[in-house]
Amino acid sequence: MRFDRFVVQAVRAQFRGIPPMDEFLRHAIDAGVGSLALLTLLTIFAGMNLSVQAYGTFARFGGQEMLGLFCGVGGIRELYPVMAAIVCGARIGATLAASLANMQISEQVEALEVMGIDPMRRLIAPRLWAVTLMLPLLCAYADAVGICASYFSAVHQMGINEGVFIAQVKEIVTLPDLFAGVVKGVIFGWLVALVSCYHGYRAAKRDGAEGVGVATNRAIVHGAVLCIVLNMFLSALMYA
Amino acid sequence: MTGPLRLLESLGAVAIYLFAIVRSLFTGPRYVAETLRVADILVRRCLLPVGLAVAPVGAVISLQGVHIFRSFGAEELLSSLLATAVFREYSPALASVMVAAQAGSSIAARIGTMQVRGQIDALAVMSVDPIRYVVVPGLIACAIVTPLLNVLTTILGLASGWFFAVVLSGCDHGSFMANLYSQVSMVDLWVGMGKCLVFGTAVGLIAGYLGLRTSGGATGVGKAANNTVTYTIVLILVVDYLASMLLLRWGL
Repeated sequence: MRFDRFVVQAVRAQFRGIPPMDEFLRHAIDAGVGSLALLTLLTIFAGMNLSVQAYGTFARFGGQEMLGLFCGVGGIRELYPVMAAIVCGARIGATLAASLANMQISEQVEALEVMGIDPMRRLIAPRLWAVTLMLPLLCAYADAVGICASYFSAVHQMGINEGVFIAQVKEIVTLPDLFAGVVKGVIFGWLVALVSCYHGYRAAKRDGAEGVGVATNRAIVHGAVLCIVLNMFLSALMYA
Repeated sequence: MTGPLRLLESLGAVAIYLFAIVRSLFTGPRYVAETLRVADILVRRCLLPVGLAVAPVGAVISLQGVHIFRSFGAEELLSSLLATAVFREYSPALASVMVAAQAGSSIAARIGTMQVRGQIDALAVMSVDPIRYVVVPGLIACAIVTPLLNVLTTILGLASGWFFAVVLSGCDHGSFMANLYSQVSMVDLWVGMGKCLVFGTAVGLIAGYLGLRTSGGATGVGKAANNTVTYTIVLILVVDYLASMLLLRWGL
């Protein structure tokens, strides 16, 4: 199936009424709650690394006090939404692609069609909704955890004045910035889910176990690349 | 089996695996042609995704940096920030993440497929050591390819940063170029390359281990590919932080 035709069918299925709730809830819980531990771990280290790295760079020209600005802008505006999207692509997207490919090669999708159930409506729509609604929440969560980690590292490891750090973060990060992060999350989530479902759905029976591996691999790579490239354009649109 | 016992069992499996890898690295027979073949495939497959993923990062740093530095009237500092961030941090980390996503998951999926189909056992029956013939070539290929890709992505990152700052935001070309290398030393370059070597090796090791442990048919193959990427990204971010911290302590 070609990608454009898949997108048209998927979007039509997604917006035609409420998706099957049991499938939606299962995938939403798996995508949201299932990613929390991994995302927390990654964001803590990324946020602390952002502080350490910025300190090393700014200390070379004597601007250590600008750490709060850098962590606010680099973290909240750019790093955490993209990181949530890549982690989501690597974990959720890969799981979606693998499960759909597995259903294709074991002919479960055809079985659904035979029973007169639209697989787009039954399988794709709830997955798309689940990831589209969960990723913005994960982005907001990553923002909160990341900025705390940056603060901890800046104040307790680098010895930056805590008042200065907080004042700078407050000054540079505005409500529209946080909202922009959530908007990015919605777009990335939908895109990752769409690409993963496409690669999973496209697997054919003759591919066998290899087809599942190929689908997983493509879902991860295409999702990550699309999000990073799109992030550049979104940032240029929002901030330039 | 209970929890601690299972932990002990998998620790033992990792130790045996690492020992087998080290032994095959230092003793023959070596499958050089196979290694080159895998490296060739990896370069071809990774070139586009890695380039596409890292190039926008330079542009984003310029995009956000221009605003901040302009408000302080310190526009010429932008290129110094861009160069240190790209050389030391973003190019190696992102290139490795993308190698993990592309090469790591495909190696794990390939070895996993072989395991599920019994091809690994077939190799062992023919007295070809699967670790020597299947895992080690992928490992060496990853370790060679990642630093090479890092060179490309560093150049791409700087070029896209230059394009955004000079062409689109109207910074001065002369002062951008003059300050580009003012804060970068050879240490930054070697730190970046060293990180890539370590991360590339880790990708090959994790992909091989999880690929060989695959069980449970087609679902298992997907899980092996997926877990390889997740574990490697965690490892990359943790090691990255520790490396930055150490380098800062040593004053490099």
